Amino acid sequence: MPPSTFDIYFVGVGGQGVLTIGEIITEAAFARGLPVNFYPTKGMAQRGGFVKAQLRMGRSTSGPSIPEKGADLVIATEVSESVKALRFLKTDGDFVLYGHVWEPAAVMLGKAPYPAVDAVQAAIRGSGARLHYIDPASLPQFGGVTVPDNVYTLGVALAATRLRDWIDAPTVEQVIQTRWQRGIERNLFALRAGMQCVEMPVG
Amino acid sequence: MTGNEALALGALHAGVKVVTGYPGTPSTGALASLLDREPRGVHVEWSTNEKVALEVAAGAAWAGQRALCTMKMSGLNVAYDSLISIAYSGVIGGLVIYVADDPGVSAGMAEQDSRGFALMSDLPMIDPATVADAYTLTRSAFDLSEQIGSPVFVRLVTANASSFGIVDVDDEPPVYPQREPQLIRDINKFTKAGSAICLAQHRDLIARLEKADAWLRAAKINRLELGRQNGLGIIAAGVVNAYLMEGFEIAARYGFDPAAVSVLSIYGVHPFPAQEARALLGHCSSILVLEELEPQLERQLYVEAQRARYTGEIHGKLSGLFERVGEYTVRHVVQGLDRALNLSIPSDLFTGDTAAEALAAARPITVCAGCPHRGTFMAINQAVRRAGFKKDEVMVTGDIGCTILGMNPPFNTVWNEVSMGASIPLAQGYVHAGVQTPVIATIGDSTFYHAGLAGLVNAVQHQVPLTLIIMDNGWTSMTGMQVNPGTAESAQQTGNRRLDIARIVPALGVDQFWEVDPFDFDATAATIQQALKLPGVKVILARQECAIPARRRGEDAGEARIVAENCNNCKLCIAVTGCLALSVGDGKVIIEPELCYGCGLCAAACQRDAIEFERRA
Repeated sequence: MPPSTFDIYFVGVGGQGVLTIGEIITEAAFARGLPVNFYPTKGMAQRGGFVKAQLRMGRSTSGPSIPEKGADLVIATEVSESVKALRFLKTDGDFVLYGHVWEPAAVMLGKAPYPAVDAVQAAIRGSGARLHYIDPASLPQFGGVTVPDNVYTLGVALAATRLRDWIDAPTVEQVIQTRWQRGIERNLFALRAGMQCVEMPVG
Repeated sequence: MTGNEALALGALHAGVKVVTGYPGTPSTGALASLLDREPRGVHVEWSTNEKVALEVAAGAAWAGQRALCTMKMSGLNVAYDSLISIAYSGVIGGLVIYVADDPGVSAGMAEQDSRGFALMSDLPMIDPATVADAYTLTRSAFDLSEQIGSPVFVRLVTANASSFGIVDVDDEPPVYPQREPQLIRDINKFTKAGSAICLAQHRDLIARLEKADAWLRAAKINRLELGRQNGLGIIAAGVVNAYLMEGFEIAARYGFDPAAVSVLSIYGVHPFPAQEARALLGHCSSILVLEELEPQLERQLYVEAQRARYTGEIHGKLSGLFERVGEYTVRHVVQGLDRALNLSIPSDLFTGDTAAEALAAARPITVCAGCPHRGTFMAINQAVRRAGFKKDEVMVTGDIGCTILGMNPPFNTVWNEVSMGASIPLAQGYVHAGVQTPVIATIGDSTFYHAGLAGLVNAVQHQVPLTLIIMDNGWTSMTGMQVNPGTAESAQQTGNRRLDIARIVPALGVDQFWEVDPFDFDATAATIQQALKLPGVKVILARQECAIPARRRGEDAGEARIVAENCNNCKLCIAVTGCLALSVGDGKVIIEPELCYGCGLCAAACQRDAIEFERRA
């Protein structure tokens, strides 16, 4: 019997569009008639700060917060911030990490350390999670511009994790088509490219 | 929709006529959603502050209309003076006060439990669990308010106010006929002149709360479900109710039988549902109390337990099981069941892997790319230095809003933060304390209108030597771009009028007044430096629009480019500005055009002419 609930924990940096991923999944769940609660926490209006969000599907009454070791899936869009989500992931959960590095000013000035991408990957794997790492350099282009990384990341999560048991690509595509007025094609391309990169692993 | 939107829609479907509030995370979305909807025949406004907002709403309610007033917990402190008077007088039309608390403090300020205000003011308070509840219970709150003639609180917390959830919206809400405003002259009700009036009003207030108790019981707002005799009884408050079923399911894996427990779900947290609590005490051999923050219901339960000579155990904060800090999740439900029923649930069930978090880089929040406050912070630092002082010799008091971000690197300019408007009186205190070096106060525009004016008046009357810098970006920005009295008229509601700080300050008797553009770094720094040397009250208006709304309109302030042949990658620009649009790619400093607003402050920071800057008109 498939589990009756599915919880997703998101982390990233303000301005990366990580909350947009959550909103798309929420709308897709809603379109499919699934009970859903989406709890974004961005604190203040500024971009460049830590952002998290919690999405819970399948409960008729849902407490907004996911307990530690409660999430089926983590979607992280920034390397350093991603480690903050690890405590919320189930031991055998899926961890989608988009390997963007957004260095705080102190790091750029050499006054503060920033974790090596390898070390972060090792820590995630070491905790027992199934890591799906997305190299930012691997993103394809659409019309000469790199595709939107957040929608690409959603595509990876949709193809590589049990998120696919909850929402399907056609519904997500519908949401994308109603959500934006411009750039629908590039977002649809990004979603499909993200999904395909999982189905046809390189090498 | 969010809990905030659900609450606002609930008010709309309860026939609300006047909606007022002041922005404050996590409450902002409620009133903001009504401004977006522009409902016909409903007056919606961002008021100057929460006290003003409540007074406007109360006036409307005294004239017989339904009114909603929205604020965060800090705002309730501001409104509280008037709230007590309004509570004593009662209302004619329904008056609902929405206050949002922030257990876990995701938005800054304090873990204030506003349920305590309901207790202190003898006003009923409704505490919904979910987004869907926020809609239905707000409608109930209006009915309750009008039935008993008292203001009623609806309280949300960040978790349900900010959550997007599914709400079963009434397709055909009842149509409330337009009410003619009433003018009721009744000094016994609407004034506080003399003890006879006040004592009578106090009795009325207490009587209204008793009526509220009966109303809440009749409307079955609180739900008591009795399980097995002599089993465990659970009292759950507000949002915690949303975690009960999940907790029961988890505990059931460890031998817990959900049918054995009795549950009192409390959504009307004040008045305390004593009758239901006594029924629970009479039925159960021990009680588990699940409520975030203060043990308010738990304490009242002890009173009922004493009256009933209850001998069972009560598990909660007072027993040492839970602390008064932070947000509750399903973990608290499961831990409580484990403790009360000795279920032997593994203690590490909710203990995740935190070792990797040591890897995370510190990411102090700072101002946005293109923020005009950056220029002001840089200029204060420069002026202090040029005036011959070290940074730790010059007090710079801070205030609420984006201007507080000057406390963080790279500026480290601002020293403290108290409450809206406090920066100006605080600075006066430092002067009277005998500080001989210059004292600077900083405040934003919306904060200045909210509670800064009185502090400035005090400084002028007492001729306190200080330098006040009003950082006017034209918007209430920290909470996500709300209009305030100084916002451009084109962004105000039709027929509203903009006030100009540049005309207000001199009119208050400030003789030394300058207006500067914080993107003009040299002039701003020179002006501040000049002000620091002068006696008396000096006010500098640092005025430049917030970059966020300007960029939404597709506007840039200018264009900055790296001049590669002059740049030696010293990164001074990053060190001084901390701007998010500056980064290091392939060992070279670059400006990310998508993030850059063209403020030019990086060019001002550069000592090698390595950033070329062109200002747009």
